[in-house]
Amino acid sequence: MTFVVTDNCIKCKYMDCVEVCPVDCFYEGDNMLVINPDECIDCGVCEPECPAEAIFPDTQPGLEDWVRLNGQYAAVWPNITIKRQEPADAKAFDGVPGKLEQYFSAKPGEGD
Amino acid sequence: MMLADAKLDHVSEDGIRRLVDAFYVKVRLDPELAPIFARAIPGDWGPHLTRMYAFWSSVMLTTGRYKGNPVIKHMVIPGIRPPLFERWLALFDEACRELFDDGISALFRARAARIAESLQFAVFHRPDRRWPPRATG
Repeated sequence: MTFVVTDNCIKCKYMDCVEVCPVDCFYEGDNMLVINPDECIDCGVCEPECPAEAIFPDTQPGLEDWVRLNGQYAAVWPNITIKRQEPADAKAFDGVPGKLEQYFSAKPGEGD
Repeated sequence: MMLADAKLDHVSEDGIRRLVDAFYVKVRLDPELAPIFARAIPGDWGPHLTRMYAFWSSVMLTTGRYKGNPVIKHMVIPGIRPPLFERWLALFDEACRELFDDGISALFRARAARIAESLQFAVFHRPDRRWPPRATG
């Protein structure tokens, strides 16, 4: 019933998703974005826009932890609706496994 | 010359406008939905239609033209209940199939059904009750 942002967004944070989201439900952390599950209307527009292919429907099995993480941080990070430049080293981190354990930051991002 | 029954085989802004216009003609003639919408939109329908063109443009053409909070909008509709979503989807599908070919209609139907499910979850779900709810008729 919602889409969720997962591991490969961490340190990639391309932000293409925020421009297409009709309901502005992305929230920005220091090095990743999350979706507010209470605001997402499941339209699926963001999924193919993500260059890092980090967005999935929550109906996909095994995403329970990510659903929780998205909800938890959407409540405290600032809303983001305008795309900025991705991190300079985004490409280098695209596809690196296990980014949550190594690089996740709970700090909020800048927001709009 | 275009055949009278030729269906559109792609999504465009013009196609979306025609779909939305045709759909809301059906809504306003529907005995179940018409009173709900008449209460929610008591005056000029122009702004609502314009918002819906933008919404479907955002959803089907990823234009980002719509920005809003449909969850909140639906939560405050008096008399809203699950069967109305079913009725809405049936009329929307009918309008799609009258205008677009089978492939495009299926794309609209899939998106609309997911969004409807998600709105219903937001409007009706309570943590202490099971989801999906049992049919209440």
